Amino acid sequence: MYKRFLFLVIAFSLLIGTLFADNTPEKKGDFNPSEAILHHILDSHEWELFSLSDGHGGHTPVALDLPWILYSSRDGLAFYTSTEALNESGLFHASHGKIHALKSGASTDTHAPEAHTDTTHTETAAYAEHHDANIDESVKVYDFSITRTSLQMIIVGIVMLLVFSSVAKSYTKNKGQAPTGAQSMFEPVIIFVRDLAKEYLGNKYEKFLPYLLTLFFFIWFSNLFGLTPLNSNIAGNIAVTCALAFLTLILIVANGTKDFWVHILLPPGVPPGIQQLLTLIELLSNLIIKPVALAIRLFANIAAGHFMVLSLISLIFILGKAGESVVGAMSGAAIGIPFSVAIFCLEMLVAIVQAYIFTLLTTVFISMALESHDDHHHAHEEEHEVSEVNKDLRLSDFGV
Amino acid sequence: MEIILPQLGLFVWSLLIFVVFFLLLRKFAWGPIISGIKEREESISTSLKQAEKARSEMSSLTAQNERLLAEARVERDAMLKEARMQGDKMIADAKAAAATAAAKETEKAKAQIEAEKQAAIAVLKNQSGLWAVEMAEKLVRKELGSKEAKDALAKQLLADLNNN
Repeated sequence: MYKRFLFLVIAFSLLIGTLFADNTPEKKGDFNPSEAILHHILDSHEWELFSLSDGHGGHTPVALDLPWILYSSRDGLAFYTSTEALNESGLFHASHGKIHALKSGASTDTHAPEAHTDTTHTETAAYAEHHDANIDESVKVYDFSITRTSLQMIIVGIVMLLVFSSVAKSYTKNKGQAPTGAQSMFEPVIIFVRDLAKEYLGNKYEKFLPYLLTLFFFIWFSNLFGLTPLNSNIAGNIAVTCALAFLTLILIVANGTKDFWVHILLPPGVPPGIQQLLTLIELLSNLIIKPVALAIRLFANIAAGHFMVLSLISLIFILGKAGESVVGAMSGAAIGIPFSVAIFCLEMLVAIVQAYIFTLLTTVFISMALESHDDHHHAHEEEHEVSEVNKDLRLSDFGV
Repeated sequence: MEIILPQLGLFVWSLLIFVVFFLLLRKFAWGPIISGIKEREESISTSLKQAEKARSEMSSLTAQNERLLAEARVERDAMLKEARMQGDKMIADAKAAAATAAAKETEKAKAQIEAEKQAAIAVLKNQSGLWAVEMAEKLVRKELGSKEAKDALAKQLLADLNNN
């Protein structure tokens, strides 16, 4: 009973945290939930932790400025410690996460430093106009900054490294004995992933197991990190899931056997006209649709969870007219908080389920790429099973 | 719209970060963990096998013990039986010996009795001869008296003889 209560308190405080982290309106009366939620889902060049009220209805965001790393043909590699420093440079202009090069020589004398006091959204119209005029569209700027999401990925990576190297240490410490502590917590999950790999990859599983474990725990930990009130969103970002799916694609291509490629490029037992069509379909399916579906599935599931929790929390502000109506805010809280607690619990499950699905499908795709005719006759039944499982998953995925 | 367009910078960083952490984790975490689990599983399965072997050895040992026990029991029974038989035989022998001995004694006693009887008869014969001579002597002596006295005497002597 006590534990349940504690859990509720934690969940509640997490929600409150999410609320402060993401939904703080810039000014009284102009709360825009979709903007606030998108601001959370999208990547940014500062890590906004929470906002402080300045006592006059406005809010000052407390944020961690992240460095800009830019590459353009005109200026080569450029590095700025913050958005403020970037805008002061006179070479580039960043607004709402978009980066533009400015015409050289359009420069610092017309540049108004007092306009930068609040870098996020309070540029004067004139200043913005001035910069719009100066934007040099001919210079393509590539943004390779370490953004909020990259930094959060690094944090997740470090946490994983700390956790699993300590788990690894306990394996050498109590060799051959029953697991203890974190070891006994993670061992069933590790064995679960290992058995998955064994089932589909047979005796080649050991080669892929470290990758699959990294993938599974990275997605799981990222998703759990995304549920903390630290304004984090990793797997709910399409670029991240695209990167993970891209790595799956590389594994498929790099491990594809001759039989796998023959099966794709020259499907056997089909008349010539249809063969070309089938080749096209197989190529599309294996090299584009499968990875893209992986990326979109993970992104959509996690982003949808964040959307739901934040939308329910936004009810407080929508009904409360951003602080003007206390009764409205109370009723918003009465509706929003229980529902978002429920969604939150669901998201805890989704966090691991999506990690599992991504890992499972990656394993299945690799096993299909590894298939060769030598063990075809006895792998045939297995293949049948795999495609069956696959079908089931595809159907159930849309529900999750 | 922006939400579904992957940004190049983040894509590149994600790849890089993930691959770097994958390599680090493989070296410092997954390697030792996987080999640790494998080693332990092997040690568990070998100890299980050993336990199974020990149990089967144990059961074969028990079976052997039981067999030995059964054999011993059979042997004991046989020995007991033999002993009983021997005892019975000894008793029977003893009985037979006793019977023959007794029969012999009886035979001897009978023979002795017969001999005694013959001796007694002989003595009696001698005595009755003596008595007849004595009577005849007395009769002869009475011849010198009356006839009547002689008859009376003969009668009396006969009566005496009959009384004896």
